Amino acid sequence: MALSDKKYSQRIEAAFAKYPDKRSAVMPLLYLAQEEYGWVSPEGIQEVADLCDMDPTQVQSIAGFYTMYSEKPKGKYWLQVCTDLACALRGADEFYEELKAELGVEDGGTTEDGLFTVEHVMCLAACDKAPMLQCNFHFMENLDMDKMRAWIAEKRAEAAKAKK
Amino acid sequence: MTNTVRIIINDQTYDVPAGMNLVDAAKWYANDDIPVFCYHPKMEPVGMCRMCLVEMGTIEKDRATGQVVLDENGQSKVRWMPKLQTACTTTVSDGLVIRTQTQQVQDARQNVVEFLLTSHPLDCPICDKGGECPLQNLTMEHGPGVSRMAFSDKMRLDKHVPLGDLIFLDEERCIQCARCVRFQDEVVGDDVLAFHERGRSLQIITNSEPGFDTYFSGNTTDICPVGALTTADFRFGARPWELTEVPSICPHCPVGCNISLSTRLDRDFGGKTLIKRVMPRQNEQVNEIWICDKGRFGHHFSRSEDRLEDPLVRERSGRLFAKSWTDALAAAAEALKAAGSDVAAIAGSGMSNEDLWALRQLLAGLGSRRLGAWPPTHAGAEVVAQVGVGQGTNLGQLGRGDAVLVIASDLEEEAPIWRLRLKQAADRGAFLLVMNARPTRMDDFAAQTIHYETGEAVQALLALKDSDAWKQLAEAHNLVIVAGAEGLSLDGSRALAGAAANILLETEHVGKPNSGLLAVLPGANAMGLHYLGFTPAATLDIMQNPPKVLIVTQADLLLDDPTAAHWLAKVETIISLDLFASGLTQQLAAVALPIQSFAERDGSYVNGERRVQRFYTAQGPMGQALPAWQALSRLGEQLGQGTAKLSAAAVMVEIAQNVPAFAGVSFKELAKVERQYPDVGGKDLYYGGTAYRNRGGLGIQIPTAADQGQTVARFEAAADEPPKTRGKLVIVPSVRLYNRERTFRPSALVHARVPEAYAEINSADAKKLGIQDGDTVEIAIQNAPALRVRAHVNGGAPKGTVIVPRHLSDTAAPLAVTVGEVSKAEG
Repeated sequence: MALSDKKYSQRIEAAFAKYPDKRSAVMPLLYLAQEEYGWVSPEGIQEVADLCDMDPTQVQSIAGFYTMYSEKPKGKYWLQVCTDLACALRGADEFYEELKAELGVEDGGTTEDGLFTVEHVMCLAACDKAPMLQCNFHFMENLDMDKMRAWIAEKRAEAAKAKK
Repeated sequence: MTNTVRIIINDQTYDVPAGMNLVDAAKWYANDDIPVFCYHPKMEPVGMCRMCLVEMGTIEKDRATGQVVLDENGQSKVRWMPKLQTACTTTVSDGLVIRTQTQQVQDARQNVVEFLLTSHPLDCPICDKGGECPLQNLTMEHGPGVSRMAFSDKMRLDKHVPLGDLIFLDEERCIQCARCVRFQDEVVGDDVLAFHERGRSLQIITNSEPGFDTYFSGNTTDICPVGALTTADFRFGARPWELTEVPSICPHCPVGCNISLSTRLDRDFGGKTLIKRVMPRQNEQVNEIWICDKGRFGHHFSRSEDRLEDPLVRERSGRLFAKSWTDALAAAAEALKAAGSDVAAIAGSGMSNEDLWALRQLLAGLGSRRLGAWPPTHAGAEVVAQVGVGQGTNLGQLGRGDAVLVIASDLEEEAPIWRLRLKQAADRGAFLLVMNARPTRMDDFAAQTIHYETGEAVQALLALKDSDAWKQLAEAHNLVIVAGAEGLSLDGSRALAGAAANILLETEHVGKPNSGLLAVLPGANAMGLHYLGFTPAATLDIMQNPPKVLIVTQADLLLDDPTAAHWLAKVETIISLDLFASGLTQQLAAVALPIQSFAERDGSYVNGERRVQRFYTAQGPMGQALPAWQALSRLGEQLGQGTAKLSAAAVMVEIAQNVPAFAGVSFKELAKVERQYPDVGGKDLYYGGTAYRNRGGLGIQIPTAADQGQTVARFEAAADEPPKTRGKLVIVPSVRLYNRERTFRPSALVHARVPEAYAEINSADAKKLGIQDGDTVEIAIQNAPALRVRAHVNGGAPKGTVIVPRHLSDTAAPLAVTVGEVSKAEG
């Protein structure tokens, strides 16, 4: 478990190749760290700092500034539901409340099995397809609770299977 | 000031240098304090706090003719900008007009203060900054007076966040001006502070290991415009208005930073005067407004438990007994009389000029000229006296077109403020060349780095002529060479200083300001030792031919030199004048006389740039301690050498009459001050921070031979023979800023930052010896007890070399480069 893992070497090189200096690659590498650890963990920050030849303080500062980096451990599926006005007009706020109840968590909470984290976010630019959410940076659109329940069950089954 | 522009501030016309910042110009020329929080004259403007808003316009000119447009009254017409502008992000230009006192400006200031106060705790009564706080002062001056905010909506945040062991952050008080973040990044180059989150959640963080990992952290508490950053040393220690400021000089390194000792009569110190904190005192040519953390937190030794408080005499039984000054001086005089002229002295570099003069006079009266300087590690002083940096040198003026060469020194550890100022010189465009046998922190700021073989500094310097860097050095407008002595013998360091001087002579970089040689000598007064006739060569002679009676002043030979016990055994009588009761005094002295530290008396030091600087009495003496000059002078009196002097000032008069270098120097001259740019330390604490205005004197720089127009001949600069290893390893002592010297050990809050004693070993050597990183190893050198340290095998040491930092444990590391054997320790 680390960015030094072989599977990342190509993507790290690609990130460095894009920019004139190492420091500029900090954001793509933070994404990799988040992918590896599920969140931007202290180990991840240190590894990115070493790779980019920066002080870890500066790396953490960048991770803290941008909302797409999570500085807290997250579930395997990070569900970000847009509840802004346009989405709310299509029932996104009710959908969000029901989703939380279904999973039994508060805003920003993670389910006990460690699979799902739910939070509300500002506009994701898909108002016409609300209710919608972003799961690990991929959009799921035109949602309702039936669709969600089926999807949740499917993911739980996958996880149970993987465990065996 | 060749290129000036005309600006108008509040209807008054001023001619100011082009390119100047408007806030600086208004303050310096118009005496108009535009309030600021985020702007600082030593850093780039960011325009974050909006406190400096002013009405701004330009004198209108006809576009076709370029003529100034006049209104109906014949006055030049001003085109005002539609909104207020930030003065701090404005550079003065011809025809700039501002108004700083109008209702609109006052309203804006009140609104900005009100915004800043929405979540400020207003806990001034328990805040360390209360009484010298820019936010407090500007609130009184511009603030709304009453709050419109709902108390229940106030943000509550952590008030005691340790950013490392030295600095605490109060998150509630922080106004996010980023002065500390920018200081660490722009001025220091250790970017270990940053903002985290954004908007209302914005906070200062550090993620370095250890936290806030830098030698300059204390300065952030001075420039913090609120009480958000406070030092662990002074936190809740006193209120600023209770403190008496005493001008002083930092006793820890050759930079000679001007400091201010804040004292008060303290309950915890028996109602006596106690130093509560050390603050920087502005001297733009020496330390600007900065000091390092060693200077700031290293004042505790002046009242350490270990201070020698009574004169002691060793009786036949071998035990030391406390005696009166009269008896102790009589015992010392008796020993000296018996020795005739077979007497020598070794003086530490913490001795003041007055002390050194008294010691020299005492020995002269006895017929001895054997005056040794301690530690005998660096020989460059006599070269500096001839071709040192010219009179009027200010490292802060080095920049584009200039060059700096640093060789054989880890400046970060040996002279932190020089390192900070030279880093900034490199930022301004000076060509910085760093040459060392091993990687050092300075490499990070260098345009070019050269790593030579251990001990081959002189060869590397001689070889420069054929390298690409030569052109940069030779053609530089100004050239400063900073020469240390790491990895060199005393002869080697003399040759290095000579070789550096030859480069300066050859390229005509001597006898003018901002060019010349700087030697990284040990201690605060190594140049004073030189000017008053104390030499390291004499010390080596004393070590080889020990005298009957040796007078040792403020030098702990046993902690500095592992072979000291060996050669001191041949000395019959040791008279020790020391601050401390342990070490030499306790183990070997026949007579021990307690002397006062720099904080207890008046005196003067000569810094590495040859500036004679004066320090003043801040606290009462510990026990019966006397100033060393007085103790020595009274000893001379006992020996019939004439009446003892009554004051340090009187001793300086005598020095000035007898030592040409000190011609014209007197305490009165040393105390002279003049207005310095930028104007910090006034009542407008928001501008420069809490660094103090210099009221104790800017000092006098001793001219070099080259400054005086003398022709300086080329120096002998034959390369040193590399030490014959015969299969052993070369042991190179190095300097760490934070160590366990007796003058730093009592500063307990820094203990966690002092590394455990270690030695850096090359991985190839370690492999051969079966040593792994973290093993305990023993280092054996001739005539010395074995030194047990932790092995660091991490790429710091070149092959065949072991780097051993001095003063990390009670067992002395080698004084100078030597050879030795390294083995894995049992158990």
